[in-house]
Amino acid sequence: MFSYSKGIFVKLKHLAPSAAILAAGALTLSACGGTSATGEEASSGGDSDLQGTLTGIGASSQKAAMDAWTADFAAENSGVTVNYSPDGSGAGREQFLAGNAQFAGSDAHLDDDEAKQGKEACGADGAYEFPVYISPIAVTFNVKGVDELNLAPSTIAKIFKGDISKWNDKAIKADNPDAKLPDTKITAVHRADDSGTTENFAEYLKATAEKDWDAEVSGDFPKDFGGEAAQGTDGVVQTVSDTDGAIGYADASAVGKLSTAKVKVGDEYVELSADAASKVVDASDKVKGRSEGDLAFDLARDTTESGAYPIVLVSYHVVCSSYKDQETVDMVKAWEKFVVSEEGQKSAADSAGSAPLSDDLRSQIETVIDSIKVEG
Amino acid sequence: MLTTTNNSTTAPRTLASKQLPKATPWVVAVASVIIATIISFIAFSGFNIPVVAVLAGLINVVAVFALSGAYEGRRKATDRVATTVVTSSFILACVPLISLLWMTVTKGGAAISFDLLTRTMLGMKGVLDQQYVAGETTMAGGFYHAIVGTVLITVMACIISIPIGVLTAIYLVEYSEKNRLGKAITFLVDVMTGIPSIVAGLFAFALFSTIANFIMPDAAGIAKTGFTAAVALSVLMIPIVVRNTEEILRLVPMDLREASYALGVPKWKTIVKIVLPTSVSGILSGITIAIARVIGETAPIMVTAGFAKTLNWNLFSGWMSTLPTYIYDSQLRPVSPGDAALASSERAWAAALVLVTLVMVLNLLARIIARVLAPKTGR
Repeated sequence: MFSYSKGIFVKLKHLAPSAAILAAGALTLSACGGTSATGEEASSGGDSDLQGTLTGIGASSQKAAMDAWTADFAAENSGVTVNYSPDGSGAGREQFLAGNAQFAGSDAHLDDDEAKQGKEACGADGAYEFPVYISPIAVTFNVKGVDELNLAPSTIAKIFKGDISKWNDKAIKADNPDAKLPDTKITAVHRADDSGTTENFAEYLKATAEKDWDAEVSGDFPKDFGGEAAQGTDGVVQTVSDTDGAIGYADASAVGKLSTAKVKVGDEYVELSADAASKVVDASDKVKGRSEGDLAFDLARDTTESGAYPIVLVSYHVVCSSYKDQETVDMVKAWEKFVVSEEGQKSAADSAGSAPLSDDLRSQIETVIDSIKVEG
Repeated sequence: MLTTTNNSTTAPRTLASKQLPKATPWVVAVASVIIATIISFIAFSGFNIPVVAVLAGLINVVAVFALSGAYEGRRKATDRVATTVVTSSFILACVPLISLLWMTVTKGGAAISFDLLTRTMLGMKGVLDQQYVAGETTMAGGFYHAIVGTVLITVMACIISIPIGVLTAIYLVEYSEKNRLGKAITFLVDVMTGIPSIVAGLFAFALFSTIANFIMPDAAGIAKTGFTAAVALSVLMIPIVVRNTEEILRLVPMDLREASYALGVPKWKTIVKIVLPTSVSGILSGITIAIARVIGETAPIMVTAGFAKTLNWNLFSGWMSTLPTYIYDSQLRPVSPGDAALASSERAWAAALVLVTLVMVLNLLARIIARVLAPKTGR
């Protein structure tokens, strides 16, 4: 029996060389240095001496922009790690107010209750919030022989509600007197899943064509309106490009080569563009009864401002008005300033297809960021 | 009377009745696939895999029954049909597995490169992916940080759960003698086996959030670490280790223990020197199976370790990525939306290939360990 148990250890010794090889392999793999995305070491030029970790939780709509921001921010501040968990807007606001994150990303501004909670979490001035990510939503279509399309809000509402079923309908003709519209059946494509895109689209229709859009505004497309459902932004774009006579709505960055409709604002038809999208935020009023630094906007979906494109998704960053220590304050300031800076906004526009903030709004936000201070 | 005369007039009865050649079932199977393909081309104008599969299956069963019934008799025919159905079911069960492996190997194999294995997502942004998809540059980004995270978190989970699991199993088999505590532990282990992994993740996160709030009330988000993830994984791992080890320990013959006691060896020494060495191969392969089970967990890691983009060797501070969360994040929320999302998807498939390979290597390792350490029989 004794020799038997000895045998086991002898056997284990046989395994030792292979274990050594495995360990050596692991070490070699870890020894290869190039650990950045491009294999180049981050340049140390212009590096700040900030050190620490910032944690953010929130909207997944900002994820692509956030990737671009963190990448460029890390190049200038190699000591700071910015983590972002795209768990959703609601989760982000909740976790931020509970003190589990230094900032939150949210597709909706804080509601009044949450603004009150913000005072508990962040001190007397409460939480600061400001738009950082404006993403236009395109009404995209695929009709043979039609390259340009003008649509009034009520026409869009009727199309997606199923009240208009042919492309040569009177209502569409009224918007496009010069176009040659075919007798094709309209396939209205909407999101099958719960999404911020649907919510903003519905909000726009509710504000501009309430008579025709009588459904509750929510992230789910109203079930009894019919039409074709597609999974995710890519699904909508795919379905529209595959179907003659299809029309859908999708984040402008994902539309690609598909044609997009001009939307009626006031008396003119506005083409989708980054400038037009950020204009609508400038034309909106701030939410009333909030602190000075709370740049929450009631989006003016029904604006008549010339050249503003009102179907947009606006995503905010929520930060505290004061943090406990100077290091965090410095990091948050540097980070948020970079996000709203011309460079940061351009980086997001290139990578995520968002619309850069206007200069006017940026200077407002920068004032707010400057007022972040140490608690006390 | 009639029957006997009948028998005498026909061929003499032998024990071995007429039999179809051995290759017949395979020939019939191939023929039915060909016929099904032809029908699919005529009726559905093209090769439609589900139609061909269903048709081929039906034709195969009918043909086998008819052929065998005509030649070998009814009993043989029924037997052959049963064999056909069982074999077809087996093939059907293999289809998802093979198609999954095929997808992973083709898609991941096409995307994988040494750069992907040695780079992280530090400095990764959509523009780089757009350039790659446009064919201007090579693929950027990688998942070195996710491989490191997977290995570190899994090793930590093992360090926590193997001692607890194995010692619990030893208690259950050697000491409890079916007393109340033993029964309670068995019941709890059974319950733990059924815990959804996300609940384990939430448990670990809640636990460490509470602890973190006590120690450092002002530090935000310090509860999300690799160690928290390891604790979540060990909640999932412990019951599997206990179950597997328990089964193996029960297989150790009572005679061995009794012989040891008869020589005056104390109980603890009997366990350490006799019971454990006898069952070590089984215990180790049971542990490896438990590792393979938790290494692919996604949900608990997302809650407990976040989504890190950079390399982090420290289990006790900062976020970490593992291969499953990396795959989930890349596929669902690409670095660049639109056409360039393809690049994120390719990285995800490459990571999936690495993960599948890792799990397979672990399973293989379990077999090798079991074979090398298995006690020699027939002495």
